[in-house]
Amino acid sequence: MADNTTNTNTETPHEANVVNQEQTTTETESEQADVSSTPGDNNDENGDATTTTNEEEEDLPDPLLAQPASYVREGDHVLLIFADGRQIFAHCVKSWKGKTAPVKINKRTYTTANLVGLPYGTVLELGRGGLVPLPEGEDVLPDPSAVLNPLEDDVDTDENTLSPAPPVNKKAPSIEQVNDNRNLVDNNTSQKIQADDVQTLRSAGMEGSAIVSAMIENSSTFQNKTDFSKAKYIVRKQMKYQPRCRMVRCTASSVCAGMYLKDPRKLMNLREDTLAQMLSYSNVSAGCQVLVVETCLGIVTGALAQRLGGYGKILSVYSGQQPSYSEMINKFNLSFPEHHSIKWVHSGEVFSDDNGRVTPPTTNEHGVKDLEKMEREMLKWPCHLQDHTRAYLGKMSTLRDQKEFLAKRCARFARKLTRHTPTEARDWLKRPCDSVIIAARYDPTATLLPLLPYLAPSCPFVVFCEFLEPLTECFRELQRQSLAINLRLSDTWMREYQVLPGRTHPSMTMSQNGGFLLTGIKLCPVTGKNELDEKLLKELRAQVGGRRGRKPKQRNGNGESGTKNGRGKKKKGGSSGAPNAKRTRVNGS
Amino acid sequence: TSAEDSNELADGKLYPEHVLPTPPIIEANSLVVVFESFDNLNFVYATPGAIFSNRNGHFAHNDFIGKPFGCKIRSCNNRGLGFLYLLRPTPELWARSLNHRTQIVHELDASTIVFYLHLRPNMVVCESGTGSGAMSHAILRTIAPKGRLHTFEFNQMRAERAREEFAKNKCDHLVTVHHRDVCGKVDDGTKGGFGLGPQAAHAIFLDLPEPWLAVPHAAYALKANGRLASYSPCVEQTQRTIIAMRKAGFHSFRTIEVRLREHFVDEVELELPPKAKLPRGEATSGATAASTVRFLSTCASTVSGGSTMVEHSGDDTGAEADNELTEAETAETEATEAIGAGTTTSDGGTGTSPGASSNGKRKRMVCARPFATMRGHTAFLTFCTVGNKLHPNPNEQSPSNQIS
Repeated sequence: MADNTTNTNTETPHEANVVNQEQTTTETESEQADVSSTPGDNNDENGDATTTTNEEEEDLPDPLLAQPASYVREGDHVLLIFADGRQIFAHCVKSWKGKTAPVKINKRTYTTANLVGLPYGTVLELGRGGLVPLPEGEDVLPDPSAVLNPLEDDVDTDENTLSPAPPVNKKAPSIEQVNDNRNLVDNNTSQKIQADDVQTLRSAGMEGSAIVSAMIENSSTFQNKTDFSKAKYIVRKQMKYQPRCRMVRCTASSVCAGMYLKDPRKLMNLREDTLAQMLSYSNVSAGCQVLVVETCLGIVTGALAQRLGGYGKILSVYSGQQPSYSEMINKFNLSFPEHHSIKWVHSGEVFSDDNGRVTPPTTNEHGVKDLEKMEREMLKWPCHLQDHTRAYLGKMSTLRDQKEFLAKRCARFARKLTRHTPTEARDWLKRPCDSVIIAARYDPTATLLPLLPYLAPSCPFVVFCEFLEPLTECFRELQRQSLAINLRLSDTWMREYQVLPGRTHPSMTMSQNGGFLLTGIKLCPVTGKNELDEKLLKELRAQVGGRRGRKPKQRNGNGESGTKNGRGKKKKGGSSGAPNAKRTRVNGS
Repeated sequence: TSAEDSNELADGKLYPEHVLPTPPIIEANSLVVVFESFDNLNFVYATPGAIFSNRNGHFAHNDFIGKPFGCKIRSCNNRGLGFLYLLRPTPELWARSLNHRTQIVHELDASTIVFYLHLRPNMVVCESGTGSGAMSHAILRTIAPKGRLHTFEFNQMRAERAREEFAKNKCDHLVTVHHRDVCGKVDDGTKGGFGLGPQAAHAIFLDLPEPWLAVPHAAYALKANGRLASYSPCVEQTQRTIIAMRKAGFHSFRTIEVRLREHFVDEVELELPPKAKLPRGEATSGATAASTVRFLSTCASTVSGGSTMVEHSGDDTGAEADNELTEAETAETEATEAIGAGTTTSDGGTGTSPGASSNGKRKRMVCARPFATMRGHTAFLTFCTVGNKLHPNPNEQSPSNQIS
């Protein structure tokens, strides 16, 4: 059978041919556990403990209890956050081949080998030699007191003052300023060092902080600036000549924020607070089965995988030949159980029109078997190396190349052993899901309504859309057919603040487009409608007198129709709403 | 799928799938959320023989038991005129149906906090103060099945209530309620702090009036690369907290404010502006419209009479919807009378019947209209990450080093 993996290793077809033979010979040769074929040694390097050695290990620690490491491991993706707000993804590898560079900053490629093993939160300075880690205690914005002469005696010399606050007397953080800009003449001549001079200084090997000091000395207007203005000036120069970034772990929030900055349209404007709400309102937790339809590059699926922690199942719907979100999902550094909890389901399985009419064949029913599943179950690991594989291995020059080859083989087997078949996916869909999440560019109504049968009653669904209008139609439809309750159409307003002594204010830019959410809880289709008989309803209404005890109106236009007594507490939502319209209409008769 | 497949490593199932069954039927003593209207939620533990009463009528718990979640129950009095919905509890519904003992964290803020704290299963989290426990339930959902939430409440009664509630909701295997003041202001011999030792928690959430007092303790109690979140309504509190955080070596600060904008959804038919000219010398025809918006049906089409069941967008307009439907009929009859009697009608007059949508110039649209006020409790949320160094235990430092 053809191997469907997208592994670019040229040995793949060759391997595939020998797999069949290995299957038949495994039984007889399994005793000859070949030492070089056990993938156990490669586990630590790859970071994904796919399998263990052949002997019984009773004391395996539960892999689901492990939290993500607090230091960078080989192959991890990290996010570099710069002082000026740029966020750049980096892939920390000791060596890389191929065209994707591990990190590209300012259009230059840097190596990331020295980042492996560093704790998250380390500050890196972008020097000529690459990304240089700085000792603990340094901040992304270097302490300005290294550059400035302290103006006051009691400058806080505590190393841990990680704020670029001006060296002002901390006991009296006043907003009154000694200087202001009333005498400033802004004609661009205040800085004596020109761009070419900077180049000269740089090539002479001058350090970033020294360049910043030089610029300050050569600025004629610096001393007359206000304290806050001085601080801002220093920060600007530091960001330009002493660029520093902090290495941050890739989690749902950092990945979403990074991608939203980079290209929000690709995410359909899914801002991170909207993603936060989707994860909470859908009530996902360990042990759930979630059905996800998304075209957000895989961010929703990845975030769910982290949130479920390897427990439960995420049925993520893809279209086309194969799921295409691996690039983004790799950024989440998912552990093996987390990755395994993502099950890709083809869109034809859930949206196709013949669902419900055709009962899918399951194993051993109607004589139709799940051939792919049977194949998979015949695979055994550790899988004995075939002779030609061994010969190929022998031809490799270095031990490192051999280890790499074996690691790839191990990963390939792991994928084969854990890949599910379409029949299995259909079986999973038979169990009602605990939650449905939609974040796709398709019409929300046409996407949600066919998926509601897959959702268990009284379970929440969340629909995200870039635009408001399609969600209003969906809302209407759900109400009209009494499919759901607790419906809410909302968007959020998120504002960031800069909080510094004397300078607390909202950030200069604010995103005002985070997309819209429609949430609700599905009603039980059988018992959720439970309406009264029409005649009984009319009778009761007449007796009880309509809502809030008002008698029904008389048809002869008498005064009662216009009165609003007995209305009781009425919460007004809109101002020029219906009441006015009704009054005029009635009075106009 | 059983969890005992872990020995069968040669099998295709390398990891059991861990999908839990969710019983769809309400059983005795199970927690049920009673949904009367969008603004009116309650919860009950389904007890055989008990009665739940509200202004729509009386509902027997015996009717609940045995029904699936997501059903609609009719009242047992008044021949079933009143109704309500029974829903499976979630932390969001719980927070809305809860008796507030303190101001609770709104679900939008709760979701943001859980997200930015990077919570995931099996983490150890600290929370102070517990309050009504609404935020605690949201955290518990995320750290299940083997995590632990240490929640600190300095009020004895609230701590007891919280313990009872967690036990009743069957979450007590995940949570420990401590009656303790983490700020150390009360002289109870503990000097503040979380009492868990160094580097014990993956994330800490502070909902305190003076969080800066707890920040050094948080630095001590957080594991490497752990996260801290603080929730403060006032900007002065936020400023002082961030100063303390900076001093304690935290980094990667973000202070945000999130507010929720909810929308009504209405199907409206916008009328054309009135074209009729003034008849010379006569009073304005009463048929000209003063308003141009007519709400055909404000999305409360499933409202049946006699109950105060209103749908979401039907908050206030739902109350009128009943009138809409009946008044539309009266308008129709009045209009036909008017036309028949030959009184003045203009093209765009409001006296026309609903059936006049055959006039192709009118647009019938489904529109969203924001609520008048943004709901929720406004507060500044501050997030930061603990620095990578050894933090001293503030309780072991000499008084001169302690922050004021």
